[in-house]
This record gives sequence, C-alpha cells and structure tokens, in this order.
Amino acid sequence: MELLIDNLAHGFSVALSLKNLSFALLGALIGTAIGVLPGIGPVATISLLLPITFGQEATTAIIMLAGIYYGAQYGGSTTAILLNLPGEVSSVVTTLEGYKMARNGRAGAALATAALGSFFAGSVATILVAASGPLLTQIALSFGPADYFSLMLLGLVIACVLAQGSILKAIGMVVVGVALGLVGTDVQTGQQRFTFGIPELSDGLGFAAIAMGMFGIAEIILNLERPEAREVLKTEVGKLWLTKEEFKRATPSVLRGTLLGSALGILPGGGASLAAFGAYMMERKMSKGRHLFGQGAIEGVAGPEAANNAAAQTSFIPLLTLGIPSNAVMALMVGALIIQGIQPGPRMVEAQPDLFWGLIASMWIGNVMLLVINLPMIGMWVKLLQVPYKYLYPAILVFCSIGVYSINNNVFDVYTTILFAVFGYMCSKLKMEPAPLLIGFVLGPMMEEHLRRAMLLSRGDWIVFVERPISATMLGIAAFALALMLLPNMRKGKDAAMAG
Amino acid sequence: MSKPTPRRAALSLAPALALAALAAPALAQSWPSQPIRLVVPFAPGGTTDLIARLVATPLGESLGQPVVVENRPGAGATLGSLQVAQSPPDGHVLVLSSIASHAIAPALYSNVRYDALTDFTHVALLSLNPSVIVAHPRLGPADMADLARRHREDGRGLDMASSGAGSSNHLLIVRLGQILGKELNHIPFRGAGPAMTAVIGGQVPLMSDSLPSAAAHIRQGSVRALATSGEARHPAFPEVPTLREAGFDLVTSSWFGLSAPARLPASVTDRLSREVLAVLARPEVQSRFAEFGGTPGTLDPAGFTQFVASELARWEPVVRESGAKPD
Repeated sequence: MELLIDNLAHGFSVALSLKNLSFALLGALIGTAIGVLPGIGPVATISLLLPITFGQEATTAIIMLAGIYYGAQYGGSTTAILLNLPGEVSSVVTTLEGYKMARNGRAGAALATAALGSFFAGSVATILVAASGPLLTQIALSFGPADYFSLMLLGLVIACVLAQGSILKAIGMVVVGVALGLVGTDVQTGQQRFTFGIPELSDGLGFAAIAMGMFGIAEIILNLERPEAREVLKTEVGKLWLTKEEFKRATPSVLRGTLLGSALGILPGGGASLAAFGAYMMERKMSKGRHLFGQGAIEGVAGPEAANNAAAQTSFIPLLTLGIPSNAVMALMVGALIIQGIQPGPRMVEAQPDLFWGLIASMWIGNVMLLVINLPMIGMWVKLLQVPYKYLYPAILVFCSIGVYSINNNVFDVYTTILFAVFGYMCSKLKMEPAPLLIGFVLGPMMEEHLRRAMLLSRGDWIVFVERPISATMLGIAAFALALMLLPNMRKGKDAAMAG
Repeated sequence: MSKPTPRRAALSLAPALALAALAAPALAQSWPSQPIRLVVPFAPGGTTDLIARLVATPLGESLGQPVVVENRPGAGATLGSLQVAQSPPDGHVLVLSSIASHAIAPALYSNVRYDALTDFTHVALLSLNPSVIVAHPRLGPADMADLARRHREDGRGLDMASSGAGSSNHLLIVRLGQILGKELNHIPFRGAGPAMTAVIGGQVPLMSDSLPSAAAHIRQGSVRALATSGEARHPAFPEVPTLREAGFDLVTSSWFGLSAPARLPASVTDRLSREVLAVLARPEVQSRFAEFGGTPGTLDPAGFTQFVASELARWEPVVRESGAKPD
C-alpha cells in the first residue's frame, strides 16, 4: 500500500509538470471536440495525430493520446443526447434514453449526468488500474474462446428480451444486424462472404457508417416530416442541472455501471462498447426507474455513461501490464510507443516507471479537466438545440460525411451511410428499433469468431461450452432469460411495465 | 444523375495516365517537384506503418520534398495498392509494398484488380523480417524436436495460432505441417495481439508470429521462442536456432518494399533507389530496424523486381495448399 502511494506520488510529480499537464489538457480538448463531432472517432484522430507525437517524449505523447481517447468518451455522449447521433459504438445506448430526455426538455440533466457519472467512473477505474492491474490481467487471460462466446450470447439474448415493443421485431433486427456483421472476410478461412466481389466490402461494413445512417441521418429525415416536434425541442431547453430526485435515481446506476464497466474493460476485445451495452441492460432490469425506460429514464444514461468511461480506463490494463492491445485505440498506442523505442510489455512498469505511473496519474487529472471543461459547457451545448434546424441539419450532414469519409479516406463509406439512412428511416416507419440491430452487428461477428475458435480447439466437441465454469454460468443465465421471455405471463408483465 | 464511382474515376484517369507517360522525361528532370505521397495500405501503428514512417522522414530530407505517409487500409492491403497502381507514374505517389499485397493477396483473392508485377515499378526492398515460432512456457513444447514429437504422438495434432487466415504466418504453419507430414491445427485470430493473448493465457500452446511483434514477449519470458525462420540466427536473439538448424528445411521472411506505379521514368527510379539505399545504410536507421527484428534491404530495382516475382511464384502453391482460397 505504501509502495502504491509512493508510486502514485511519483506519477503525479511526472504528470503535473507543466508540459505534461498542458498536453493532457490538449488531449482532453481534442478528445471532447472529436467526440462531439459525429463520425470522427478517437481511432481516426489518434492515427492522424500519431506523427506529431514522434518528436515528443514518450510519456508526454501517451498522456496526450490517452486524453484524446477518454475525452472522446465524454464528448461522444453530447451528440448522442442532443442529436441522437452516436459517434461511437459505446454511445449507441446513450441515445436511447438520453435523446428522449432531451426531447422532454431534460437535456441539461442528461448531459450533467453523463459528465458526473463519467468522472466518478473514471476516477474509480484509475485507482483500480493503479492498485490491481497485473492481478486483473491474469483473470482476463483465463477467459477462453468458449467463455467469450457464452458471454456474448448472453448479451444478445438480453438485447432481445429487453427490447421495446414487439419482441419478434427485436429478434428480427438482431438477426439482420448479425447478418450485416458477417459481411467481409471470414477470420477463420479468409473466405469473402456477402461481398459481391466489391473489394471495399472485404473488411466488412463500417460501424460508423451504419450508426450514423440509422440513427442520426434517419432521425433528421423523420424530423423533417413533423414540423411540430421541432418547435417543442426549440423552446423547451429546461433546467441545466439535475433535480434532487434525479440525483437520487442516477447514483446507484453510476455505481453499478462503474463496477460492470471496470470489469468488462479489462477483457480483450470487450472494452467500452460491451460495457455500455451491458450497463444499459442491467439498468433496464435492476434499477428503480426501469418502468420509465423508453420515455427518457435517467438511469439509462447514468449507467452506460459510467460504464463506458470506466472501461475506457481499465482497457489500458492489458496494454500496460502485458503489452497487449485490447482494441483499435490501444493498438495505436502500441504503435506510438514502439516508434518511441519502447516495447510495450510486462516489464514496462519496472523499465518505464515515469511512463506507467505518470500515465495513471494523468488519467485522473484528465478526468478532472474533462469535468471542468464539460460542466460549464452544458449550457452552451443545450443552446445548440435552439439553432434553427435549417442550419443545424446541413451542418450535421456535412460533419457526418467528413467523419465517415475520414475513417478510411474512402467515399464508399459515405455511400454506405446514405444507404443505411434510407434503411433506418424505413425501420422507424415500421417501428423497428435500430439499437438491437447495432448490438447484433457488433456482437454477432465476435460471437461467431469465438464459437468457431472454441470448436477448432475442441476438435468439434460441444462439451467445452458447459465444461468451463465461466461459460456454463453465462449459458445458464442466458437460458433463464430466454425462458422468462417465452413464458406468456412474463411477457404480459413486461409489456404492462413498458406501457406504464 | 450519375455520381462518379471510384471505378469511373479510375477509367477517367486512363488518358491522364497516357499523357503522364508522354510527359515523363520532362517531369523526371524536375522530380520531385511537390510533396511525395507514400501510401501505406495498412492501418497506422502496425509494423508496415512503422517501417514507412521510419524511412519517410530521412528520405524526404534527402530528396528535398517531404514524403507524406498516407494510410489507406483495407481488403488485405489491396485497396491502397490498387490506388497507387492506378496513379500517374510521376514519382509523386509511392506504395509501401509487402508480402501481403504483392505476394500472397494475388494468389488468395480472385478480385485483386492489379498485377503485382506489371502494374508496378518495384524500386527498393526496405526490410526483411523473419518469423518466429513461440510456445507457452509451461504448456508448449520445449524446442522444435519436442514440437515434432508431440505433434506425432497427439492423434489430433497440435494447435497453432496465427495473426489471420492467409497471413504469411499462417502459410508458415502450412509449410511446417507439410514438413511434419501431418497438418497442424491452425487457429486464426484477428491480428497478432489477440493471438499472442491466447498463447500467454494458455488457450493455444503455439504460435507463428513475426519477430517484431513477438520480441517483447520473448524477452519477457511470457512465451518461449523455439525457432526463427531467417537464413541465419537473428542478432537480437542469438540463442534461438533457425528452423533449418532445428532440422526443418524452411527459410521464409515477411518483407516490405517501396514501389511506384508502372512505367516510372528510369531516371526517377534510379534516383529514388539510390536515396532509399543511402537512408537504409544510415547507422541510426539500421539500429531502429534491428530493434524491430528486421534486416534492411540492399536490392536494386532489378533485383527487387526479380525478388517480387520469385515470391509470387513461391506462395501461389502454398496458398492453394492451405485451403485459405476464397471465392
């Protein structure tokens, strides 16, 4: 413990140097900006900024890049709540309740919840990284392909169980999402599937293109056909702060979200998106306000926002303790370190104490900065809703196009976005929720990959899925949830709860 | 209303291309007259990207025009390569060619729209990177002889991970299986990182990886290196035998090079090749390459072109054998 405090003190002495402090701030600012701008995510930004870091010291470079990453988690919720535009996988679920809150005139409260929840979760997760990183990595390493498969199956089942409205439509959307997720090159064989000979499809459809089209642009089309709805949003900005009642409801959700997010962030391949989905499902099932879901429940913002930020921080654990990147952003960090002549690996803690502890200290400092940046800005963001739509919508369309194009520098992604905007509009007309589709799109291919890898390793013996305790537990819960869904009484109860 | 599609844009480039070929001599005198785009057909942060950036800065200095790295990932490195193949051969657009885009992909994918030989001017071999066979320190075999014995005795054969189906690491596993007389159970992953995680976590006992990405884990002792695939032992890991020393007649390296669109004026090719070789000979560049486990190349344009041709001929039958043939 004493050693930990010594180390943290050393970390703060590194992170608080004027240079590191200003680059942490710069990172947080850039992160917030790109989080707010739809489409341009942290992966694209960090890859663009990578060359700038060559001239910097390694610690400074990583502090800035990390700031961009978790800054984007803060900023991403802003557009999700105000404009129904999830710039990133992890903010898809924030749109569900957050945007509804904004429509109810509670945009300020939703933004404040997101910022405070993220701050709390980020602080807790940072301590976790410092105190028990190596230990947690060992636990994450024990997750085999069978365990991952069962975890994701559970996620998909719960996504169906908890969907609003018709369960049949929800299942349909999940299945379409899974099918869309399978487009591209098969990981196991290198076969191209559903690509119709188009090279641009061989890496699959882009998440940003689908999310942007189905959520943001489809929403714009919908809004254009109901002028009365615009007036409501324009006039009712509402109070900027949380009421006492809202604060009381959000607190337990933040705590739950932090726990779940910290745990899921450590899993390789999991990260912020899985954490946000998980937290949303948990809130929908467990929170006191679960009957309000679908109408703008603050729990549905607090839980996922806490979870995605906690996961963004803990996803550094595998990188810092093992040198293994758990997602695309972390892979870029590896690149940045290697360019600096530092091989990320288990010895980094001893070999680069400045970098390791300085980064951890800077994460906490960065979270404080983000809170300071974001809270006073809430008023300004909310004013954005008063911008007449004839200016706002073209601006959103332009930013979306730039953002989607910048991911691969390819117009193909822009065409994909347009296609999915039309599809998303059709879905809305048919009362089909886009969220289950996106969950299927993200989880489906991962599930398939782990399923087939587990089968390859077991030589086709299905017993692995019940042999391993982690996997067996997940499957048990999934079967239970499925049974609940199929029992007619339960369904009635659920629908009644939804309606009320 | 018709929107310009990439393909149409490419067609409309054709006359421009012909013009550029005519204008080539004039261009060559003033080359480079503007910043040079170096297209890296992979995402930033990977080995290919690192090599490109290591070379780009000093090359730009010696040419007097900045060399700007542009990442254009997708479709097994073929999208970015195609873009360069269709660009004017004025020396201002280059591609970081590699074993992926210019030796394996043409055999692997039927929809590759370029010819790895005739659509490019191959200028210089930048780096040769050997692969390494690594094992879980407790669960995996102790050395290559142990690997062969365990593989023979295990009725189902051993599991071996790689960074992906159709990667050079996968093809190494196929070749190993051919030499062992029994297929290894190939477990493909999405990139080297997740595969290495599975080996360290003990989910898979063996992996074939490129030396740069495995180096840190070997030094750390979280995996054991059984053999490298180069001609000779690697200077950074002198204690690790080569596959050939371990009794497997197999020498293979992944490689990275610098290529331009076809019909690059000879004067530009010569100058570029000269400058690149000079950059590669610099001590500081050599030491950075050594850290990655790579060996800087020394081939001239003719030698590199021949090398690409031999690699194409070499991997085609292995890809066919591997079962990784799509479509």
